[in-house]
Amino acid sequence: MASVSFSQVKKAFGATPVLHGISLDISDGEFMVLVGPSGCGKSTLLRMLAGLEDITAGSISIDARVVNDLDSKDRDIAMVFQSYALYPHMTVGENMGFSLKLRKDRKDIIEKRVAQAAKILNLDPYLHRYPRELSGGQRQRVAMGRAIVRDPKVFLFDEPLSNLDAKLRVAMRAEIKALHQRLKTTTVYVTHDQVEAMTMADRIAVMNDGRIEQLGEPLELYDRPANLFVAQFIGSPAMNVIDGVLRKSSSCVEALGHRWPIGALQRGSEGQAVRYGVRPEHIAIGGQGAVTAEVVVVEPMGAETELVVKVGDVTLVVTTHGRSDAKPGEAIALAPDAASVHLFDAASGQRL
Amino acid sequence: MKKKYLNEAFLLLMAVPILLWSLLPIYHIFLFSISSKDSAFSGALWPKEPTLRNFGHIAKQEHFYLYHFWVQIWNSLWIAVAVGALTLAVASCAAFAISRLKVRGGRTVMNLALFTYFIPAAFLAIPMYKAMGNYGLLNNRWSLVLAMVTLAAPYAIWVLKQASDKLPWELDEAARIDGATPLQLFRLVYLPLMTPSMVAIGTYALLLAWNEYLYGYLLLSHERTITLAVALGHFIAADDSPWELLMATGLVYALPPAAIYYAFRRYMVSGLTSGAVKA
Amino acid sequence: MAPLPPARRRMSTWQTWGLILIAPYVLVFLAFVLYPVGYGLWLARHPESYVKLFNDPIFFRTVVNTLIFIIVAVNLKFLLALWLSGFFTHDRVWIRWVSVLFLLPWAVPSIPTIFSIRFMFNPEWGVINSVIFRLTALDGPNWLNDPHIGLSLAMLTHIWKSLPFWTLILISGRLAIPKELYEAASVDGATAWQKFKYVTWPSIRTLYLTSTILSMIWTLGDFNSVYLLTGGGPADLTHVLATLGIRYIRLDQVDLAMATIVCAMPFVLPLVYFMMKSLSKSDEKSS
Repeated sequence: MASVSFSQVKKAFGATPVLHGISLDISDGEFMVLVGPSGCGKSTLLRMLAGLEDITAGSISIDARVVNDLDSKDRDIAMVFQSYALYPHMTVGENMGFSLKLRKDRKDIIEKRVAQAAKILNLDPYLHRYPRELSGGQRQRVAMGRAIVRDPKVFLFDEPLSNLDAKLRVAMRAEIKALHQRLKTTTVYVTHDQVEAMTMADRIAVMNDGRIEQLGEPLELYDRPANLFVAQFIGSPAMNVIDGVLRKSSSCVEALGHRWPIGALQRGSEGQAVRYGVRPEHIAIGGQGAVTAEVVVVEPMGAETELVVKVGDVTLVVTTHGRSDAKPGEAIALAPDAASVHLFDAASGQRL
Repeated sequence: MKKKYLNEAFLLLMAVPILLWSLLPIYHIFLFSISSKDSAFSGALWPKEPTLRNFGHIAKQEHFYLYHFWVQIWNSLWIAVAVGALTLAVASCAAFAISRLKVRGGRTVMNLALFTYFIPAAFLAIPMYKAMGNYGLLNNRWSLVLAMVTLAAPYAIWVLKQASDKLPWELDEAARIDGATPLQLFRLVYLPLMTPSMVAIGTYALLLAWNEYLYGYLLLSHERTITLAVALGHFIAADDSPWELLMATGLVYALPPAAIYYAFRRYMVSGLTSGAVKA
Repeated sequence: MAPLPPARRRMSTWQTWGLILIAPYVLVFLAFVLYPVGYGLWLARHPESYVKLFNDPIFFRTVVNTLIFIIVAVNLKFLLALWLSGFFTHDRVWIRWVSVLFLLPWAVPSIPTIFSIRFMFNPEWGVINSVIFRLTALDGPNWLNDPHIGLSLAMLTHIWKSLPFWTLILISGRLAIPKELYEAASVDGATAWQKFKYVTWPSIRTLYLTSTILSMIWTLGDFNSVYLLTGGGPADLTHVLATLGIRYIRLDQVDLAMATIVCAMPFVLPLVYFMMKSLSKSDEKSS
């Protein structure tokens, strides 16, 4: 149980900078998710915390103690790898107990701790099997068991569910979250999947190009994205974004020949070029809709219906509850919910 | 249909000269071993009275050139095993350092090692002989052991490095996080996973040393230090040597490699050619 | 917190161990490759050795023998290996057994086998001449006492011994060719020869060439095939550079021995150069 702190952490591979001064504080017991597209630096940051990569500048602390110069084994951390990294020549039990064996702990202690971890993860029947005899999900659990046995200060997860099929991923997500609730160990979790981030995190750090775009609780990121990148990264289907001009006087944005409603605004100037963002579920259809669009595709999902519509050349996605009798080719009226609309400066992408 | 049988017949026809060519000299060794002196020199293709007496003579060291047979075969064995073990030790450490620890200059060492094979064997032997003289190791078993390790190690390192390059990196990282020191990683993770390759390489080095003639001939001279191969070479010196005893001893000498080769035949073929092709 | 200076190389323990573990081999290399080679070159520094060497009547003959050996023996060997590799890639159980037996000459040590060949060709009591006599009532030739036949037999012995290894190499080269290429060729109506010319040969050509060059380098060092068969005789007429060097050592003429080796360098170095070129070309192609 410990806090983790990154202070102005920079990383460069040779002359190529990869991380541009990351500062992040993770409190004791928190489940922090680092999420972002490939190449954003999230795995590199995690590996620097683990001690697998050198730190070019800045400092990383675990429990208020700077660990820059500490070897991995002295940082009291445990890591779960994307490819599980189980020792093929050892049984499940031996894999899980390996770290204790290296420390020359007593055999009975090792057995006890391994049995405890195996119980939590339902691995009891597999203790004497070899990794090659197990399925992907079971192997991932062994990898987690190996981490649990160590009873570390921090758990590190490096895209652990990427190698599993979709259904298993959903089940494992819940297991990892339940584990965290039970053990309450500080966890740093890296993924490129925003669904995992949203469902599992206490807080999310959205990363892009070596920087943190926004740090906050999942719903905070969803409801108030700080910039265009976060707005379009979080949420599925993604937020609709249209280029337009701000008309403060008429409380709308002119775009695509229509006037799109907006809510109360503090910033922004008349005539400013903006990006108008509205999530698919915040667009009502029919009635007094301000915008007319043409239906392109109707995708009935059962509980909801996704409509792909076109306004001019721009394609938008609208999600409605229940069924819809819209047909492709029909004209349809769109009524975006002004209170749930997001405006971003067209040049900087920052929220207005 | 007829074409198929013709093809088979053609293949079978090709097999005959291949087998004759390959086996004739070996059969000839066998032939001499079980012949008496007169029968051997009569040029017969099968002895009139096959006998095992020659082997008895060898075992009892009953001839001038065989006086030290048991010591000599022991030398061959000792040296072969020492070469196998030492090559394994040196090569596995070096391969681990180059492949897993990514030691600085590792690739250079690897390439330099392989350059050893660009020096034709007989040409390296001569300066090696002088060098061993300077080291004071002539007529010492260790000179042959070290010379053979020098010749076997580059290939051994290369094979072990290729095999260990296939191990995923995450294993080392997981072990590091689990708290392993470099030695623990080497002992508890690397070596167990390398065992099949190491068995192949150890056998290769052992056979290389057992079969060696030239280096033994140069580096060892005393009857009680030479290997069986060198002792066999001495037989040729005189014209009236008992060739049948020579061949019988040769057969004994050839049996271990043939047996090991037969036991490992499948691995030998694949292990040898694993690196030969760059697909 | 104020930013700290860049982290030290925490990897130092690991790098240290890397150096420690690679040290044994490096020592072996320094002591038993670098030092001998350097010392040998130093011993071969006197021009008088070379004068003496060139004046030795057998030297010129030896050089010619060596050239014949590496040009004729190696290429003949590889043509055979090419042909046999095709034979052994047929998928039959009995062919696999034949290949096991075919590899025996390579697996079994040289001393008994080459002596065996030597005795087979003994003019008085060897089996070859006995069989010839029994079939034709004529005396067979005095095989090993004729320098030309002797050298030829040494080359055959060399081929006998090393053919299996190189055949294996070429077999693995053939096996790397995807079957579909041959199937496509069949569909296109190719004959067996055309399949070889357009599918097999382009794929293994580089392997064939680099192997030939490497084999030439190794054949330069083949001491056993000549020494154990003819001993360099008759009258030192079948020596090759490898056996000649050893002969000088036995006569305690170290300077001449080293000079012989240096004289072999003009053969070895171009071969090494061509090998490296060929290897890097194949590197380019595959990358």
